[in-house]
Amino acid sequence: MKKVAIVGMGTTKFKARWVDKTYFELAFDAAKMGMEDAGLGREEIDCAVYGIYNDFFQRQYQPDAFVHDYLGLGLKPMVRVNSGGATGGTALRIGYSEIASGLYDVCLVLGVEKCADCYNYELQTATPEVLRAILYTADMTYDNPAGRTAASGFALAVIAHKEKYGNPTEEQMAKVSVKNHFNATKNPIAQSPQVITVEDVLKSRKIVEPFKFYDNCLYTEGSSAVILASEEMAREITDRPVWITGVGASADYVMPGNRPNIHTFESSRVAARKAFQMGGIQDPLKELDLAELHDAFTGTEIMAYEDCFFCEEGQGGDLIDNGTVMPDGELPVNLSGGLIGCGHAVGATGIMQTYEVALHLRGEAGERQLKNARRGLVQSIGGTLCTWTVCLVLEREE
Amino acid sequence: MREEERDKWYQYHNEKFGIPLEYLRREYEEELSGKVPVDAPLEVPDRMDTYYKYSYGQQSRFFRELRENKKIYGAKCPQCEKVYCPPRAHCSLCYKPTEWVPLKGTGVIKACTVQYFTTSAFIKKLPFICAYVQLDGTDFIMMTNMEVEDVSKITVGTRVEAAFRDERRGTITDVYFRPVD
Repeated sequence: MKKVAIVGMGTTKFKARWVDKTYFELAFDAAKMGMEDAGLGREEIDCAVYGIYNDFFQRQYQPDAFVHDYLGLGLKPMVRVNSGGATGGTALRIGYSEIASGLYDVCLVLGVEKCADCYNYELQTATPEVLRAILYTADMTYDNPAGRTAASGFALAVIAHKEKYGNPTEEQMAKVSVKNHFNATKNPIAQSPQVITVEDVLKSRKIVEPFKFYDNCLYTEGSSAVILASEEMAREITDRPVWITGVGASADYVMPGNRPNIHTFESSRVAARKAFQMGGIQDPLKELDLAELHDAFTGTEIMAYEDCFFCEEGQGGDLIDNGTVMPDGELPVNLSGGLIGCGHAVGATGIMQTYEVALHLRGEAGERQLKNARRGLVQSIGGTLCTWTVCLVLEREE
Repeated sequence: MREEERDKWYQYHNEKFGIPLEYLRREYEEELSGKVPVDAPLEVPDRMDTYYKYSYGQQSRFFRELRENKKIYGAKCPQCEKVYCPPRAHCSLCYKPTEWVPLKGTGVIKACTVQYFTTSAFIKKLPFICAYVQLDGTDFIMMTNMEVEDVSKITVGTRVEAAFRDERRGTITDVYFRPVD
């Protein structure tokens, strides 16, 4: 396999609504930034991978074709992927394979998502209609008619985890929310930068037991892009490549009845183990400098500490209590603000997380720059009870 | 747009999408007033839908038994002897065709939570329970919702029984679960 580098990247701001842009116009902005960052024109892109989650959000089936057209990449090969919340991570995994296989030298990996064009006229808000569009991804015959949401599915897992291990507690989850909202205050693209307290989180309105309003990520519109290149091309293009040194992926049984238990996300454990094996990482807590984990909900960030082997199973709550995952801790998690602070523009999210880690590895993260960041982890998860997980290990040039 | 043209615009979208006229007026009055700058983002109503005559394929008997006979059936693998409910025609691990087995309709809550927010389609039912129930005689869990007076009474381990709606349509919602007294 060939070595694969990130040689360019760009992202739009993550916002609740980009009323002045369509999905392909948003994609254009991110692609242009990425190409400018790499110093490449559209002619030099060999192929593209698009991460776009929900066709109802875009109000368009096969939206990838229209993105490809708008980016002027006609006649170049492309493929669209969709793995729920892990769509961005999956797009990167496929982009990695395009280059590592030797089939192509330069690959645009772009994620984009609208959502707030969905609208509930009676309640004058997008969210319930966004949730309705999402519910088409639940099993249509047995699960969809139960009216569950992504939040209730993940809440069931958090409850099961707490029953087994006594954590995450509501206070621990609130601390994750405070951390991620605060981290977002240093990130210029973030949707929800806020200085809030544990009390604010605990007092916020209930969404689904045990999640309160501030325990949830928000729906976001935005687009993020990275450009991947083979080692040979990367040397020509840039003097600050970021290498993808580990890729792990797993897809679990979607009907949770087929899983041995629901208090842990086995796909996350498999994906992390694979990525660490490939990246030669024995002790992730010591060998990683930062991580962007998929914090769609505070409780699942805490579960992710365990699923990424930062600690033993059942001890995730300790890492927020003892400050390990704080910006000045041993392994800062979600310096971007994560999905909770920066936002969750579904197809773009995994690519935004990758952008964030690469930014730190390049030493270009501005006010929130982590000192001497050498190696970072991206975790991208999605689907009912974490069907998909993709983990990526990124390293800076030594 | 002139006033009569506006009325036609509201009428057309009301009939096409079923959006009440008052909501359309509230959302689009400003746009249709003609005072919005020509380059400002323009929003319009839309809806995506498709009609189906959907086949349940090899799960058909499960839904016919619900509708006609108020019976819940599981699907048993002859090799590993696991019983699936929701049913499937083949065991996904052994790749053997399954056999139908009648279930008693009783079961136990394996995980549950209370929803205080949900999708447009269910928002009027809040709050309700979202739970995984394992039916007796099966090895799998299924998602269900429960509308009960006191949500705190439903916890992990709560025994439940199936009840059937008077008007059954051949969908999973023909059956619902209630705690055993």
